[in-house]
Amino acid sequence: MNSPTPAIEIKNLAYAYRKAEAVHDLSFRVQPGRCYGLFGRNGAGKTTTMKCLLNLLRPQRGLARVFGLEPGKAEVEVKRRLAYVPDQLAFYPWMTVRETLDYLASFREHWNQKKEQELFDRFGLHPSKRTDALSKGQRTQLALIAAICPEPELLVLDEPTSGLDPIVRREFIETVIGAYQEGHPGSRTILVSTHLIAEFEGLIDEFTIIDQGAAVLTLEADTARERYQRIRARFSQAPPEMELKGALRVRREGRELELIANGGGPPLMESLRKHNPETLTTEALTLEEIFVAALKS
Amino acid sequence: MLFQINFKSGMPVYLQLVDQVKAAAASGELKPGEALPSIRPLAEELRLNRNTVAKAYAELESLGVIESLPGKGCFLKQNHSPLRKEIRRKLLIEEIDQAIVMAHHLQVPGREFLELIQQRMDSFEHKRRANEEHKEK
Repeated sequence: MNSPTPAIEIKNLAYAYRKAEAVHDLSFRVQPGRCYGLFGRNGAGKTTTMKCLLNLLRPQRGLARVFGLEPGKAEVEVKRRLAYVPDQLAFYPWMTVRETLDYLASFREHWNQKKEQELFDRFGLHPSKRTDALSKGQRTQLALIAAICPEPELLVLDEPTSGLDPIVRREFIETVIGAYQEGHPGSRTILVSTHLIAEFEGLIDEFTIIDQGAAVLTLEADTARERYQRIRARFSQAPPEMELKGALRVRREGRELELIANGGGPPLMESLRKHNPETLTTEALTLEEIFVAALKS
Repeated sequence: MLFQINFKSGMPVYLQLVDQVKAAAASGELKPGEALPSIRPLAEELRLNRNTVAKAYAELESLGVIESLPGKGCFLKQNHSPLRKEIRRKLLIEEIDQAIVMAHHLQVPGREFLELIQQRMDSFEHKRRANEEHKEK
């Protein structure tokens, strides 16, 4: 089978700052057109991984490829086709918003003016304002305009919404969906790292949870929600002792029993049913709950 | 029409959209010829991946529920399934079997199950009539 070149490929990646290993044997792959989540706690290795993709760091072991290219060897080609919104935004403080965008646009061969205007209107940003007078939310909006107007094939977002108020966060995500994703689906790939998972829930196609520099879990979002279930049963008396094979976690409280299942939901439901519960319900875990379950077990 | 996504249902998100359009069509909430929301604003509003919404609409189109007119948007079609009658029956039988299995496990006896089906059909009929009366006003 001839599969398309992945937009991103990370294979056995390792990187250590002096002796502190930040990324350890990490592998994942992002197909073009997908929105891929990199979920991890603070210090899990998300930013280090992204920096290896942007040639801001050189992998010490393993490989990092963007559009099949090595960022260290084809830096210009790679950066031409992607845009990066870092977690620490830096602009020249003496430039205005307008000057900043003109400056950034000068490095790009393509810049969608219409989109720029649309985003200015949406955010209500003042072109004549100096960047050192912008709020954190406005700085993020400026960075997002700068990332979207070149209409890159790949958008790399590092903790884009942390520290922002809920309105700005909501707008940020709507803008990524509306302004960025509008275009040929195969050339609109997103890699987003975050620990604020809930707000990206609807956007994520596939994700990797990383912890201490290594992948803990890689799944499609729909598959994950189908596989991870919370099962609740209430009995007329204290829950009977029974073997609950395959349950990730069991909580007992009075006459109630709560299980977290990873894939083994149906047989667990079956064995609970045999004890005639008064009620028996099941619901999917959200991606955030899956994140917690994966890191706690 | 207004959609509601529930990530806790365990059902793929695009199928939730597909099912909601089908249900709205069956209850008359959405009428033939009526427009569905465009993909971009709907995706933004629900904060869903644009491709998820596009996939749902593509699925609805291939099922013959909606038609997409280039440059105009997507519209609910007159109810004409492109499938042959025996296939339509077969698909329905699969769903009914599922419900029968479910009824067995929930200890709902056969007669009660049939009554429930009648009740639900009445309920849809009621909604459909209410929606039609509203339209005539």
